[in-house]
Amino acid sequence: MKQNNKMKEILTSNQMIIVYIIVALSCAIGMKNPAFADFSTIITLSRALLVTLIFAICEMVVIISGGIDVSFPAVACAALYIPVVVMKEHDMNSALLAFVMAAGIGLIVGIINGFLIAVLKLPPLIATLGVSSIVSGMVLTFFGTNEISRMPKAIKGLGEVFLFTYTNKNDITYSMTVFIIVPIVLCIAVHLILKYTMLGRGIYAIGGDKNAARIAGFNVVRLQFIVYIFSGVFAGIAGMIYCILCSSANPLNLMGSEMMVIAAVVIGGTRITGGHGGVIGTVLGVVLIALIQNNLIMLGVPAYWQTFVVGAVIIVGTAITSLKAKAIANSPKV
Amino acid sequence: MKKLKNIDHTLLSLLAMYAVVLIAMAILNPKTYYSVLNLKAMIYVFPAFGIIAYGMMLCMISGGIDLSLVGIANLTGVVAAYILVHMGGKEAGTGAIVIAVVAALVVGALCGIFNGFMIGFLKIPAMLVTLCGLQLYTGLAMIITTGPGITGLPQSYIEIANGGIGNIPFVLPIFIIVTIVVAFILNSTTYGQKVYFLGSNEQASKYSGINNLKVTITTYMISGIFGAISGILTSSHYGSGKSNYNTSYTLLSLLIVVLGGIHPDGGKGKVAGVTISIILLQLISSAFNVMRIDTVITDMVYGIILIIALVVPIVTAKISARK
Amino acid sequence: MAEVFLKLENIKKSFGGVQALKGVDLEIKKGEILCLAGQNGCGKSTLIKVISGAHEQTSGDYYLEGKKVEHLKPIDAIKAGIQVIYQDFAVFPNLTVAENIAMNNSLMTGTKVMNWKNSRELALKAMEMVGAHMDPDILVERLTVANKQMVAICRAIINDAKFLILDEPTTALTKKEVENLFEIVRGLKKKGIAIMIVNHKLDEIYEIADRLTIIRNGEYVSSGDISEYDRARFIRDLTGHDIVEETYHPEKSQEEILKVENLSRQGAFENVSFTINKGDVIGVTGLLGSGRSEIGDALFGIAPADSGKVTLKGKEIQIKSIEDAIKNRIAYVPEDRLTQGLFLDRSIRDNMVAASINKYFHGGKLDFKAIADDTAKWIKEVSVKTENDLVPIRTLSGGNAQKVVIAKWLNTDPELIVLNGPTVGVDIGSKSEIFDILHDLANKGVGVVVITDDLSELVQNCNKIVVMRNGKAVAYLDQAEKHVEENEVYDIFSKEGGEE
Repeated sequence: MKQNNKMKEILTSNQMIIVYIIVALSCAIGMKNPAFADFSTIITLSRALLVTLIFAICEMVVIISGGIDVSFPAVACAALYIPVVVMKEHDMNSALLAFVMAAGIGLIVGIINGFLIAVLKLPPLIATLGVSSIVSGMVLTFFGTNEISRMPKAIKGLGEVFLFTYTNKNDITYSMTVFIIVPIVLCIAVHLILKYTMLGRGIYAIGGDKNAARIAGFNVVRLQFIVYIFSGVFAGIAGMIYCILCSSANPLNLMGSEMMVIAAVVIGGTRITGGHGGVIGTVLGVVLIALIQNNLIMLGVPAYWQTFVVGAVIIVGTAITSLKAKAIANSPKV
Repeated sequence: MKKLKNIDHTLLSLLAMYAVVLIAMAILNPKTYYSVLNLKAMIYVFPAFGIIAYGMMLCMISGGIDLSLVGIANLTGVVAAYILVHMGGKEAGTGAIVIAVVAALVVGALCGIFNGFMIGFLKIPAMLVTLCGLQLYTGLAMIITTGPGITGLPQSYIEIANGGIGNIPFVLPIFIIVTIVVAFILNSTTYGQKVYFLGSNEQASKYSGINNLKVTITTYMISGIFGAISGILTSSHYGSGKSNYNTSYTLLSLLIVVLGGIHPDGGKGKVAGVTISIILLQLISSAFNVMRIDTVITDMVYGIILIIALVVPIVTAKISARK
Repeated sequence: MAEVFLKLENIKKSFGGVQALKGVDLEIKKGEILCLAGQNGCGKSTLIKVISGAHEQTSGDYYLEGKKVEHLKPIDAIKAGIQVIYQDFAVFPNLTVAENIAMNNSLMTGTKVMNWKNSRELALKAMEMVGAHMDPDILVERLTVANKQMVAICRAIINDAKFLILDEPTTALTKKEVENLFEIVRGLKKKGIAIMIVNHKLDEIYEIADRLTIIRNGEYVSSGDISEYDRARFIRDLTGHDIVEETYHPEKSQEEILKVENLSRQGAFENVSFTINKGDVIGVTGLLGSGRSEIGDALFGIAPADSGKVTLKGKEIQIKSIEDAIKNRIAYVPEDRLTQGLFLDRSIRDNMVAASINKYFHGGKLDFKAIADDTAKWIKEVSVKTENDLVPIRTLSGGNAQKVVIAKWLNTDPELIVLNGPTVGVDIGSKSEIFDILHDLANKGVGVVVITDDLSELVQNCNKIVVMRNGKAVAYLDQAEKHVEENEVYDIFSKEGGEE
């Protein structure tokens, strides 16, 4: 009986519902376009969602802790643009340096966010929105607005490192970028940290009840700092990866991606009010959003419908999540 | 007594900032800044974001936030443009314009009602609902326009935001009327008091017999209507409807209301502060214009002012607590 | 002579300009139960926060096991064995029972990893020690109030607590749960743990405490063995003046105000009937979950009844929503004053008109002068102690704040007023003033329903009593027929299941 209930709970969980939708959607796309049912789809999709996934993991951690961060697109833009500009100016050519600078920029912004939110207790949305406009304004003001397509050699070279290649029956070759390792490692690490370390449990704890966490002896300020710094650093690294994959540096390309990322996180079952959520759900949310974004056209939906469809998916997803939370709150207590 | 002092505090700091901007411009470039031309240019611009700021203000007092205002403005602008183009384009008559304006206002109200319903009935956080709303309404506008802007609007529609009687642009009385209406609603109606109650404590408001759902929906509906007014002004100003005008207004309107003394947690703030803050922001952006400073710097400065406006009261409170 | 665990000398604490503690002494020995009593706003919570390291005292000395401690941090206090169980329990709703219980232990040992298996074992062990039965894997957000408290107690015990502070632990508990709690507390005492219970229910204090310390307005008043305090001294020390206690007997009247017939709501209560005549103050009592609160919620339309008949002043009315209740001039003083009753940051004046704002709208605008006049009138009428009606409610004491909630409803000119736990967290002085107001209302022909589990207050102030058990009204008592004793009521509602 109990076993049965558990089974039912798992099968109707948020995650499983997304899995159903992903399967249904894939079938629909596959029927319209048989080429979709090919291994190459996984390669293209991986490439398309790689950066979003890193963002989403960062955002998820922040939301679990009870906050929100909308500054990561600006951080990523700064982190992909500034190092390239600096390296070109000084004729440097080191991929490592590029990543160190990118992470450093993320670190600085993370510290600022952490300070405003953890120490000064500003509302996270407004604080990160303000920081976002400062960061992107600074980049555009001091480093220029032009897209750079001639990248330093070391960076350009990294874009052509592949894990493996795959040639389909039409003799088109697909290559899996090496950077797919980053989100995979990040997902596993974050999952383990959240679940099996006191740091991770602390993040859940402050998202559940800050005051209770403080009383219990958690260092709330420190935890919040860690969360925002983590988000900043990995947003920076994700920005640099994006730049390498595109093999061009545009200071505006990623702006506006916050909506999509928050959507993926929330659809993945992370409650926007904090304290609930996990890596698996977020991964599924990202996959779902990427599927929709990349394949709407295949399903015969015009490109200019995309924004609306994504918006509609999000609103339905969030409505379901919050209705579920409401149902739990109203269910009889034991 | 203490309450009075608090308002004075906000107003005083705003007035001090006025003085700084005005004196700075008197030194840097008085000839261009203090010209009738510049004054007129200012008046033509600020109503479009000022009215959005009032929408933001209402929602924030009620304990929420409305990040979808720019989306509503663009959607309604596109709706108005679409109707005008299909009712005669450049030759469309007054009747068509009236229909277009009314339709825009209705669409704005509907968007707001949708927001309010999701927030008040489904209890989804306002921030998330309106962020989704922004995406949704922008998406709708994109569907209607299929991408590029809708142009070919009648001259008399374009006149709304660009014309005037003598030296007084039409937009000025529009803004003044909206200001008076919003001030009256907040200060002198029962609905206004209920917005403050709702923003102070949702539970207590419910247990006092206030219909929170109704107040929430009304609040976001009014905000939506304000978004629509701004959308009409914007589409008239540019002579076209497009899905991505004025994207910086979200940040700008947040900045204005926070600067104007509206507390992000809800329940606090006055219209006067916001009105003064709207004009202050116009003075600043105009100063940047006159000094030929790039718009990207303007955004950065807005961000800095927003953070400072939030941080200063906290720091002063901490210092005075230490004493 | 047992060893002294904690000693405070002349502790002072001020926030900004407000002095919350004006020199408090406190001493507690190992294996002793000390009750800390004081009216609301007397500084009890601040004192707890100083002890637990959440606030640092402005001046005064803090000794732990004879050693002077300075700049105590919350984590240091926990390490020293000081555990506080707050009124809201400070549990994490989003985590499981096991994790909640084991969390502090992991934090204290400074471990960096989370061991789920250990947590579960630890939780089961703690629950066994306490005698609680909960699924360790369930999220705490799904627990009842009493079980949340159990989680908090388990958490404290598993941490090798040497000094346990319970902040008003019994307010949300049923009598049975209180007994269970006290049993556990006595067990802990035997283990040599020092225990401080913040409480101002006299009967409970007599039942559990060894010693008593009383503070008033942030000042130390007295301290001593429980045997040194009789009821009169206790009340005198607590309030600063004597209180006369007597039973309420209204004049008999045949004028019917409210008639409730067979009121039912599925899963909450069934077939509840009672009548209020002019002058009657009716008390509805029962254990938590007996349906007493739900009757209040039904009469105010928050969770409407699904069948039954309500007749108010001879007119049958339907209450399907809060609007219906308001329309029929029904007022409701909710259970949780701080979150449901008051707008803490708003002025007395704003709070006063929150339920009646519609009546001030005439001639196209709000009449602020009338609002000010009415506020002044009510402040006088219900004697709210304040110099200014523009100060935020937050600055008022519990009793004064509750008077504002009542006045808020009186300003709507109600025909029926339902009060759910009207004197929870209200000091004794204000308590009797509040009931004076209610008796007065009843004599003016307003229906008064008081929902309470405070039995002494019930028998003193209600002339008719409805006792609820398991959703059924199991007894109707009328003081006019026979004086009702506290234990009599208690016996009825605590009887387990079986015969009706």
